[in-house]
Amino acid sequence: MLGSGIFKGLAVTAKNFFGSYFCKSRLTTLQYPEAGNTITAFSRNIPFLVFDSEEAPLDTLRCVSCKICEKECPPQCIYIVQDKDANGKALKQPRIFDIDISVCMGCQICVEVCPFEAIKMDSTFELAGADRFADLLLHRDQLAKPNTYFHKIHPAEAQEVDARLAAKQKKPAAA
Amino acid sequence: MNAAFLILSLLAVAGALLAIRLHNLVHATLSLMFFFVALAGLFVLLMAEFIAAVQILVYVGAVGILILFAIMLTPHVTGENHGRLCSRGWIWGLAGAGAVFLILIAPVLLMAGLDTPPATAALSPSVREIGLVLMTPYGIALLVMALLLTAALVGAVVAASPPARDKDEPKP
Amino acid sequence: MILDNPDQLIVNLVQQGLDLLSGFPIVVLVLCLLLSTVPLIAIFPACFAITTWLERKGLARIQNRIGPNRAGWFGLLQPVADGIKMLLKEDIVPRAGDQLTHFLAPVLLLVPAFTVLAVLPFSRNMTPAAADTGVILFFAIGSVSTLPVFLAGWSSHNKYSLLGGMRAIAQMVSYEIPLVLSTVTVVMLTGSLNTVRIVEAQQVSSWVLGDNAALQILGQVLKWNVFTPWGFIGFLIFFVASLAEVNRCPFDLPEADSEIVAGHLTEYSGFKYALFFMAEYISAFAISGLAVTLFLGGWSGPNIRPWWSDDPQALLIPGFVWFFLKMFALILAMIWIRGTLPRLRVDHLMGFAWKFLMPLALLNIFVAGAYYYLPRWIGWPAGFVVLYVCYEWLGRINRGSLGPKRTYRYA
Repeated sequence: MLGSGIFKGLAVTAKNFFGSYFCKSRLTTLQYPEAGNTITAFSRNIPFLVFDSEEAPLDTLRCVSCKICEKECPPQCIYIVQDKDANGKALKQPRIFDIDISVCMGCQICVEVCPFEAIKMDSTFELAGADRFADLLLHRDQLAKPNTYFHKIHPAEAQEVDARLAAKQKKPAAA
Repeated sequence: MNAAFLILSLLAVAGALLAIRLHNLVHATLSLMFFFVALAGLFVLLMAEFIAAVQILVYVGAVGILILFAIMLTPHVTGENHGRLCSRGWIWGLAGAGAVFLILIAPVLLMAGLDTPPATAALSPSVREIGLVLMTPYGIALLVMALLLTAALVGAVVAASPPARDKDEPKP
Repeated sequence: MILDNPDQLIVNLVQQGLDLLSGFPIVVLVLCLLLSTVPLIAIFPACFAITTWLERKGLARIQNRIGPNRAGWFGLLQPVADGIKMLLKEDIVPRAGDQLTHFLAPVLLLVPAFTVLAVLPFSRNMTPAAADTGVILFFAIGSVSTLPVFLAGWSSHNKYSLLGGMRAIAQMVSYEIPLVLSTVTVVMLTGSLNTVRIVEAQQVSSWVLGDNAALQILGQVLKWNVFTPWGFIGFLIFFVASLAEVNRCPFDLPEADSEIVAGHLTEYSGFKYALFFMAEYISAFAISGLAVTLFLGGWSGPNIRPWWSDDPQALLIPGFVWFFLKMFALILAMIWIRGTLPRLRVDHLMGFAWKFLMPLALLNIFVAGAYYYLPRWIGWPAGFVVLYVCYEWLGRINRGSLGPKRTYRYA
């Protein structure tokens, strides 16, 4: 009959309408933020700096400010200034480590080139602020997060990194 | 009745004057529509609601849109480009307009018994009577109008149809 | 006793109030004027707010998602939030556009939308303007609403707005013809343009005024125009044409975001957009109300006379309850159709009006005329058969204009 397709379509939408009240599989909406979010172990957003010990966070930063990530970053969103001690001798830690997250594109190149497993990708995304520029420029203290946090968000990758670091410790001891 | 008639006629005259005098053609057409609506109000005052409804339906709803379509196809709609027209023969124009006005108003002025209100307002024709009168004895007029509308419709279809293609044209 | 007739409760209260004030004719006149306009202006925007909520929740459930549920319980305050947002938005008028017509267009669109509500009979003695030419007045005033759509498109000084406006008025003008032709059958068989008489003709008055409750219920439902062959097809044509008149899906080409960036509404923001939106919904209510009046029996429903009453015309459930129930049923059908059907392309849209709906409406008039003269037991089934054949035949004729069937290689 002419127009039977329209009636079939109307039947489908009616089934959808009434089914959405009875059949949980029809209603796939996730009520954020009460019902959590869909962050998986593979999601990444912006980088963060890893430190090993909770008691002295900024002293046990793995970063030695070699500035490789600053050079390799494609949109050049990282700004590093090496720390100097009282005599002017360069220390192996960064005094300033700024990332402009409005520029960062999450490409993970800084993670790939870091020789010291110091910078890893974070999956936090609730980073909105009231100031358009100042709130989106994260400094070293805001970027520093413990290794336990790294284990929480990327467990497999964190175990792999820990194994590599342990192997590196053993090699000079063995050599 | 008098206050309503006065207000409606003033609105009608104002609308008509604006329709002639405004430079922006779309504004002029809008005031013409306003004039049509005021005319419909005057029809209602004359207890002819059917004619008032048909006036709005035909004039505002169809003829007005047609005028707007036609104006839209012309380039000088906003009317900013040309200066004021001020021809030398304006006094003859005024004389001519005055003569037409006198010719139109003469029968009204000469008609006796203008001061007395109409005898009865209950003689307003109902829709049923209009329909009966249209079918008989004015049936001929109805049929002629139907023929005219059919001719217009056929002409519109012919004018809007794509041009006939030659059979020898090579296919692309 | 006031409660003798629950249907006429409001009318009787108003009448008694006016009788108390009968010493002051000016006050009575002003009150009468206010009483015929203020309820419309108060009730229908409230219906508009409820309908926006219904539409968003209904469409959401059809599309497997939850609608707005943050503003109040189940999102019931969402229309309030929308209204506040619209009021607070900046009112932008294009500098090169025509300021006067840009301002007038939404106002001029709201005026006919509200005015035509006056001829609808909400219940017995509850028509704000019971004119003898009610149906013609409805269409006359409704046809004025094509003008502001064009003005909106033209005054925005934007070629897409102009194109959208032209398409919108072409659509509105084309679908007015099947709309009016389908009401010709009702007027023909009722013999009057008066909306009150049309509703009264859809009741079997001898049964309704009788004493048998079952016959009272049946008498108010059986004679609706939609149950006759010409009425059924007329109702379908009227409903489809009314979808096109108020620019709703699947005929919302003029104002669809993916087609022409809201067409004639592109340059409108804030409160003026809200006024356009409200005018569209109020027109939808008005035209659904007319469909209820013409085809679905107006204020009649399965009602019985209250057992305590002597008035033969008394009704237990007031008539306007049935009117609004049926009107909201039609609005829900419009929402359901919006969630189901894709949008029509502009040439399909115009072809559908001129090549399918209009011939079908003309054939419907012939069938209605034959139905009047034939006895019921022949006319009723024969009418359905003839109209079904015409419907299929017109569909077959128009199949060629859809173009060749496409095959997709990589889909």
